[in-house]
Amino acid sequence: MKPLKRLTTVALLLFASTTICRADITLALNKSFVNKVRNKATITTNLTVDAHPKDPHSIKDDGEDGDIHMAGRDSLIQLPLVAEILNARREPTAMQLLKTLGIVPVSITGVWRIWFEHLGTIDQIQGTPAPNPAPKGSNPDHLFEIHPITTFAGVDVLDSFVEVPGYQAYPASIAFPYYDDRDATIQASQTAIMIASGQAKYNYADFVMEIAGKPKDVGDGFIVLGNVYDSAGSLENPVSAKVHRMIFVKGTPPAAKLLTLSKGDTMHVLGIPRVNLTDVFLITSKNGTNQVSLKLPYEMIIAALLP
Amino acid sequence: MSGIFGSTVLDVAIGLVFVYLLLALLCTSANELVAALTKSRPKLLKKGITQLLDNQPTDLAKDDSGAFINEFYRHPLVTGMMNGSKHPAYLPSRTFATVVIDLLTREKAGRKEISDLENGLATIPSGDLKHALLALVQSAEDLESAQKAIEGWYEDAMDRVSGWYKRRTQAWTVVVALLITVLANADTIHVARRLWRDPVLRSAVVEEAKSRAQKPRPSVSVEYPDPDDPTNPTVVTNEGNTVSADERALLGQVLGWQGSLADNTSRDWFERILGWLITILAICLGAPFWFDILNKFMNVRSAGKSPDEAAKKPEKRKLAPADKSA
Repeated sequence: MKPLKRLTTVALLLFASTTICRADITLALNKSFVNKVRNKATITTNLTVDAHPKDPHSIKDDGEDGDIHMAGRDSLIQLPLVAEILNARREPTAMQLLKTLGIVPVSITGVWRIWFEHLGTIDQIQGTPAPNPAPKGSNPDHLFEIHPITTFAGVDVLDSFVEVPGYQAYPASIAFPYYDDRDATIQASQTAIMIASGQAKYNYADFVMEIAGKPKDVGDGFIVLGNVYDSAGSLENPVSAKVHRMIFVKGTPPAAKLLTLSKGDTMHVLGIPRVNLTDVFLITSKNGTNQVSLKLPYEMIIAALLP
Repeated sequence: MSGIFGSTVLDVAIGLVFVYLLLALLCTSANELVAALTKSRPKLLKKGITQLLDNQPTDLAKDDSGAFINEFYRHPLVTGMMNGSKHPAYLPSRTFATVVIDLLTREKAGRKEISDLENGLATIPSGDLKHALLALVQSAEDLESAQKAIEGWYEDAMDRVSGWYKRRTQAWTVVVALLITVLANADTIHVARRLWRDPVLRSAVVEEAKSRAQKPRPSVSVEYPDPDDPTNPTVVTNEGNTVSADERALLGQVLGWQGSLADNTSRDWFERILGWLITILAICLGAPFWFDILNKFMNVRSAGKSPDEAAKKPEKRKLAPADKSA
């Protein structure tokens, strides 16, 4: 090969590899908002529901999870927003209220959740008003969810935090290596925190959690560190190398069970991943306005005890 | 192996990516040193605050345009954030607004109202701060909303400070990359040529690159040192951020000034400068970027996942489609 040809080939190879870029979307959050919610299980807001399906999802696997989801707007979170009631068929009162509700703000409390699943193509900036009507019906592009809901229009749905009968969640040995491998960049300004990442999936994971410390009461819930194992594997081989924060909501069956256990005990649970904003906040505090590339920090919302 | 993926071209590309990765790591370390030595963040914060509070005399020092800002820096809430005489790197907006309001309403003891702030503004001599605050508080119904307006004004200014800091950091990254490139003569064209022609060196570089690909991605991560306190983590940098002695030694073999510069033709210099520019651009892309590229190339080279990647991925027990809904 002639020298010029060789160099051109090397250059093209490098160029091709460097231009294979992730389709990242940036979520810009107000720093004070992050600081307020990062160590909380839930959030309360007045949601104006723009759209929702007539009935809950069917139940099988993947997105057929038995939830009912609703798209809406609020004045606190100020992001494209979807809220979901877990096990919606168990909650006829809340379902009836949802169906008869007009386009009026309704008080809603639930677990806040950021996950890069329905990321769309446009960066999402907190404070930018959501379009009205919601652009894609009941499931618009969104990164912020209230999921699962704990109180809907005054109706307590905490008893929905139980196993979804017939639903097959992703096994830990598939879900956690995937969660652990999400790339992200985090950057802060004086007032905002920007998190950029690509498409993520696997909403529900079935795993065994080994309690690694004492649960900490954070007012609306408990946070505890836990090791993660596959329910079909052994307790000698965790599927994730790190301990993760596990988020329990007060008043739910998993939280009640947690309080009866000690360090080293295990629970077989259904979990939902969300971005760990405590880690994000700390990283931005230490790095000023420098951009940091890392694996997306996440924690698990414990949605149900599994047999 | 046959074709391009088993060829010298791929190994040369791996060598270049590896060199870029090491240089980017060195650049990051040097940048951190520069930031610590120049104390740029506190300096820029001071500059931002000065823009807001300068050119404002007080009723006690009517001819001194720096009187208000001097009083600001003597306020106990601000001195409490200083380490001796060192300016803080961060000043919360609430503290800023509280101090400004306190200085303007110091005549009033006890609980303060919006009227006290308006009186305070009316009595201080004309200045930039007075004009700005009059515009900010004219629509405030109470002291709390006035405080919020001042906090918002300060936060807007701090976003500008962040912009300055970011630009300065980027500028320093380019300067440091330039210095490293020129001092080490990290000329991409020359390095590629050397790797192409020297199979022993190429092989050594690829072997070292393999070891590097087994290390963690240069990154920060968060750990929870106290298992009983899941709300109090600490940041740790991993071993992927350091350049080992073996890697430094190898860099010494690949880079450096060789031969007499007097023999260089204008074509040599043109190539060298072009090679430097490519290297500088590459360094500016950052170490995590080149680490990811290196892993991709290594995967291609071994016609599959790298051993650590393979170990990380469990056997697929069930293949489910991607989620369709929230």
